[in-house]
Amino acid sequence: MRAYALRRALGLLPVLLAAVVLTFVANQFVPGDPITTLLSDRSGDTALEARLRAEYGLDRPLWRQFGTYVGGILRGDFGLSFRFASTPVIDVIAPGLLVSPLLAGSALLIGVPLGVALGIFVALRRNSLWDTLVVLLLVAGTSIPNFALAAFLVYLLSVRLGWLPVAGWGTLSQAILPVLLLAIPPIAYVARLSRTYMLEVLQQDYIRTARAKGLSRRLVVYRHALRNTLVPLLTTIGIIFGGLLSGTFVIETLFNIPGLGRMAIQSIFARDYPVTMAIVLLFTFFYAGINLVVDLLYGVIDPRIRLGAGRAGRA
Amino acid sequence: MTGPGAPAAALEIPGQRAGSDFWRRFQRSRNARLGGILVVLVTLVALGGPWLTPYPYEDTDLLAVWAEPSPAHLLGGDALGRDVLSRLIVGARISLLVAVSVLALTLTVGTLAGMVAGYFGGWVDALLMRVADVVFAFPELILAIVVAAMLGPGTRTVIVALAIVWWPGIARLTRSLTLALRTELFVDAAVVSGTRPLTILLRHVLPNVVPPLIVRASIGVGFIVMAEATLSFLGIGVQEPLPTWGGMIRDGLVALRTEPYLALSASAALGLTIVGFNLLGDGLRDLLDPRVRDR
Repeated sequence: MRAYALRRALGLLPVLLAAVVLTFVANQFVPGDPITTLLSDRSGDTALEARLRAEYGLDRPLWRQFGTYVGGILRGDFGLSFRFASTPVIDVIAPGLLVSPLLAGSALLIGVPLGVALGIFVALRRNSLWDTLVVLLLVAGTSIPNFALAAFLVYLLSVRLGWLPVAGWGTLSQAILPVLLLAIPPIAYVARLSRTYMLEVLQQDYIRTARAKGLSRRLVVYRHALRNTLVPLLTTIGIIFGGLLSGTFVIETLFNIPGLGRMAIQSIFARDYPVTMAIVLLFTFFYAGINLVVDLLYGVIDPRIRLGAGRAGRA
Repeated sequence: MTGPGAPAAALEIPGQRAGSDFWRRFQRSRNARLGGILVVLVTLVALGGPWLTPYPYEDTDLLAVWAEPSPAHLLGGDALGRDVLSRLIVGARISLLVAVSVLALTLTVGTLAGMVAGYFGGWVDALLMRVADVVFAFPELILAIVVAAMLGPGTRTVIVALAIVWWPGIARLTRSLTLALRTELFVDAAVVSGTRPLTILLRHVLPNVVPPLIVRASIGVGFIVMAEATLSFLGIGVQEPLPTWGGMIRDGLVALRTEPYLALSASAALGLTIVGFNLLGDGLRDLLDPRVRDR
């Protein structure tokens, strides 16, 4: 198991390196010269320009800049912001650092159990009207982007009924709609999968054996079938989390929530690319970390995984 | 989703065309049929676009600023007094245009790369799979955002960004299909009779990877339409004055309290289109994938 864990963790290195290279290249090739933007009305001041170029390290050869970039990241330093002169990127993003993981985490905690319950509910009523209806809703839930759903939910719950605030951040009632909207895709995704897995598991011989020896249907479903439905679901947690992280970009922009997602988008418009790239990097690291944890957990639960080939990966 | 389809398959008359069997199964699946209807509708609207719009999409009219729905403006007007229905119709055209462009790009690049990697193996294969791994290491949308930020907003940016995110999936699927085909007898026969590798790939391998790719593509359209709308919603996609559903929803949400028609109608158009493509894609998969066919 330790060898497997080590192999998995080492397998992450090229991916993380690729993320670092990509964000560095992106910072180089984005439109516009950041120093010119920073100087704005003092564009004739060559002394200030030279000082800023030196401070931002932009006067040095590219490979030196890359070395500084990698070294900085290892120490948790993402360079300087282009929008706020001489301010470290980390200070710019620090206030929003916990908001996005909090949103994504709550949506995951709500979404997965609800999704499993819903999936099993319809799996046990296969081909009924309930099944058709819920499957239709689930297709809608997994595929309609959350800002389109938001239009309807905000209009109904906030504008029409006045139950919830339209936007903002800070109180619990302001968090309900964003978390709910973030949780809808995972609920629908998990429900679709657990419906499929449950239907598959229920056809297995050991289920028939359990039924044949006289166990009640309820006991068979919850003791035998549920467990074997949950194991393959575990592998999808990584993908779900990736979707949630992307979702925070949209939801935070929509509800005006001061998290990293909104900041990443705002920074693109403010041409503050180091901030955007630092956030992309953080999210990618986070995503890779979650996937590693999921892989390791899966290895613990199912020994075939760590002995045989890796998991199938994203379809 | 095919329901009680097993007995019919067993009674199949020999020599009957496979197409009609497919069509019968398709009609029996309620959800696939619904998806098909929605997709045909959107496609017709997109194709007929310029001839269907009551007004030019970019025409502003002071009297129609945030107009309520009326016979003159069936879905009202937006902040600049532009006709919402006209913009929705042109928006359909743009959504599908982006989707078709992305599909054309990814299917060409992904299929070629996948076939070459699967057939020849070796370092080409290793390189391709590492590149795919790196792309898969990012959450899809976040990678698209990085690319969009690098290239600057615009229609071309959206197409390129989504193609970059999407081609490795196609390449991987094609590769695994090619790996399986390489061991087939008809490929061996072609090799033995001295056929050039390129001819083998194009004439013997390609026709066999196309059907699964069609299924994959039909499922992908929904995703691409969604991703384009998301980028446009965030403001880094297709730019004004071109209308996009994502951009219209963003503009409409600001005024949701007083003027909900813009956000709600654009959301409905986007939602129905995506659901349509996904239902159709799921239906096609159930019909064409023999593993789930008779369940």
